[in-house]
Amino acid sequence: MLINTGVPTREQIERRLPSPERRARGPYAMVECFQEIPCNPCSTSCPFDAILPMGDINEIPMIDHDRCTGCGVCASVCPGLAIFIIDESVGDGTASVTIPYEFRPLPEKGETVRAVNREGCVIGDAIVTRVLLSKKTKTPLVTIRVSDGLVHEVRFFNLIDDKAVSDATSLKRKEEPITVDSACASDDDEIILCRCEGITLRTIRDLIREGYTTVDEIKRISRAGMGACQARTCGPLIAAEIARMTGQPISEIQPSAHRAPVKPMPIEFFLGGDSE
Amino acid sequence: MMYDIDLVVIGGGPAGLMAANTATEAGAEVLLLERDGHLGGQLVKQTHKFFGSEKQHASVRGIDISTMLGDRLDSFGERATVWKNATAIGFYEDGVITVDHDGIYKKVKPKRVVVATGASEKFLSFPNNDLPGIYGAGAVQTMMNVYGIRPGHRVLMIGAGNIGLIVSYQLMQAGVSVAAIVEGLPQIGGYAVHAGKVRRAGVPILTSHTILRADGKESVERATIARIDRTWNAIPGTEKTIECDVICISVGLTPLAELLWQAGCEMRYIPSLGGSVPLRNNCLETTVKGVYVAGDVTGIEEASAAMVEGHLAGLEAAASLGFKGDRYSEERKDCMEQLAALRSGPTAEKIRTGLACAECL
Amino acid sequence: MGDRRITDHPILDFDEGEVIHFTFDGKPMEGREGDTIASALHANGVKVLGYHFKTKRPRGFYCAIGNCSACLMIVNGKSNVRTCTEPLLPGMVVEKQLDRGVPDDV
Ligand SMILES: Cc1cc2nc3c(=O)[nH]c(=O)nc-3n(C[C@H](O)[C@H](O)[C@H](O)COP(=O)(O)OP(=O)(O)OC[C@H]3O[C@@H](n4cnc5c(N)ncnc54)[C@H](O)[C@@H]3O)c2cc1C
Ligand code: SF4
Ligand code: SF4
Ligand code: FES
Repeated sequence: MLINTGVPTREQIERRLPSPERRARGPYAMVECFQEIPCNPCSTSCPFDAILPMGDINEIPMIDHDRCTGCGVCASVCPGLAIFIIDESVGDGTASVTIPYEFRPLPEKGETVRAVNREGCVIGDAIVTRVLLSKKTKTPLVTIRVSDGLVHEVRFFNLIDDKAVSDATSLKRKEEPITVDSACASDDDEIILCRCEGITLRTIRDLIREGYTTVDEIKRISRAGMGACQARTCGPLIAAEIARMTGQPISEIQPSAHRAPVKPMPIEFFLGGDSE
Repeated sequence: MMYDIDLVVIGGGPAGLMAANTATEAGAEVLLLERDGHLGGQLVKQTHKFFGSEKQHASVRGIDISTMLGDRLDSFGERATVWKNATAIGFYEDGVITVDHDGIYKKVKPKRVVVATGASEKFLSFPNNDLPGIYGAGAVQTMMNVYGIRPGHRVLMIGAGNIGLIVSYQLMQAGVSVAAIVEGLPQIGGYAVHAGKVRRAGVPILTSHTILRADGKESVERATIARIDRTWNAIPGTEKTIECDVICISVGLTPLAELLWQAGCEMRYIPSLGGSVPLRNNCLETTVKGVYVAGDVTGIEEASAAMVEGHLAGLEAAASLGFKGDRYSEERKDCMEQLAALRSGPTAEKIRTGLACAECL
Repeated sequence: MGDRRITDHPILDFDEGEVIHFTFDGKPMEGREGDTIASALHANGVKVLGYHFKTKRPRGFYCAIGNCSACLMIVNGKSNVRTCTEPLLPGMVVEKQLDRGVPDDV
């Protein structure tokens, strides 16, 4: 499922494909945006009004493929980088995909790259046929040619020596479980709740067990939250721990009192001042 | 000396900038306080194009929006003063705000205040959670996009909300590899299109997983993750070690509301808005008269909503001082409509229920 | 420092700012104009900014925007400087902070 994996299902994709006649006729936009989000630049940017106006900004974009010329304006504007231009009309066994590609270095025209699918897996080779830069959107559109059987799968490419990206994919291969001691008691000593004062989860838990159940009491006794950050970092964690251990709803746990100043100041500071 | 002024805006992010712009345009004299040396708040590190509609500058990159708003404020000349490197450190019940401006102690007593201080990043507890190399997502973004420095070579991202997804993508743009994105919930919290971008670039998103611990001598060398069951307990045998030199924590933001507590505003804990938020009416005025709020400090949302809220708060604060242009009613209506539209979709359901509790005055 | 600085980025242009010389625990280092102390140290591969006064655990920055105070160091002899937001200036003497520093309470 899309919300579990970030990858749309085959049915979702197929429902967006135009008719076979339209696909044979020339380039068209594939709008792969399947979730209602508050966004509409695709529909307001299309010079041919092919992406239908959205009554409500959350509507899922709908496209009239008969009006779409495959010009690519929407693809370079879309903040989700979710629009691709597909051209299956060449008829020589290849087809092309135009991909918004915001990485460096950019490939060059004629370069061979690895074609990558929506899940980040390499599924074949591709040849770069165009690199279109845009000063305005700063989102380059790179067109690559693949064998036509892959055109609905390929949505990215890796440069052949692209170490960073291939490094990231290698995790999948390395997935061998290792054993660690499951949460042992000493863990509580290594979990720092209040960084400024160096107070561990164990100290906080001990205090809660002793019956200190407000952030302020814990603060006064342990100094947690009295440090330089004024409990910004640890306050919510301490409140959550109190809620967890006492079963009180977190909304009823008073945060610690807030007093000026919001950052620690040396006393001379207040004596100074601008006495114009 | 005590500075007298119509309106002080605390925080120069999108919300504060919009509030200052709108109120100055309406005719008020405005002082904007920004803790940093530059304006823009979170926007200055956002290199991606924004969602929303044209009114909220959709498809423009965050970083460019911040420049646009700052330039507009400049164009008002003397009517709008900006203090950079100026932290509001105290907000007293008599309405006095104390400021550390470049190391000099100043006091300001404005007629109205807009608090737009944004949010701070949540922290996570796990063994060795304080090791150097464990950074907040905002910190990683700041290092890369503001200072141009790679935080490390290989990053493990914790959290698949929009921020975790976007920062992962930006790490790859900066040439850093992302080992995986780990998310405790069974679903990806961020937008599917953002998830799609990182997936096709080869980053696995491991839902129903959590980090068990970090290890390393002086700084992060590896992390252990595992699959979790529905009660968030690690499932034995599913542990994996991930070699990485950075662990990036992106488990949400919480409103930076200390000044509002100090001022005596009534607050309420609303989990779906990120923590304790001020109660306010539909003019964004809190329970303390004359104190308005806008942006992430009212509840964690997006820059698009923050800008509209800033617009509304600036408009209302100026109007309450008698600076009410002919377009007041029209602008007010427009803000309300934009906010309603931004919050109308299914992805904003949590925000709608949260707001229903906070906007009760 | 080389590979930590981003030179080629698809969206951003980073100008090569003027070099700024400073020292860290006595070692000469180079930063760039526009750096904060913490960003310059990071570019030099320094992640440990001090040791906690009580737990003795190494400390690095966390939020990088001045909220959390994880990045306190001694700068030109002054302790508790938030190095993640403090601009780097030529000739700064930066040191790891090992104690609570002064002032303690205010
Ligand atoms: C990685 C990431 C991606 C995002 N992507 C999107 C997106 O695509 N679209 C979108 O709409 N939104 C996005 N957002 C959200 C958006 O950036 C925030 O919602 C927005 O910046 C909130 O604006 P704000 O003005 O309330 O707060 P901020 O931008 O946080 O600004 C607050 C300002 O107040 C200052 N300040 C704080 N305390 C004080 C004080 N005491 N004195 C003086 N100044 C103070 C701070 O320094 C800061 O400059 C993203 C956020 C992140 C982190
Ligand atoms: S490719 Fe061009 S014509 Fe087709 S939908 Fe996009 S902008 Fe409109
Ligand atoms: S611009 Fe892109 S992300 Fe936004 S609605 Fe259109 S297709 Fe979806
Ligand atoms: S790292 Fe958080 S204040 Fe510097």
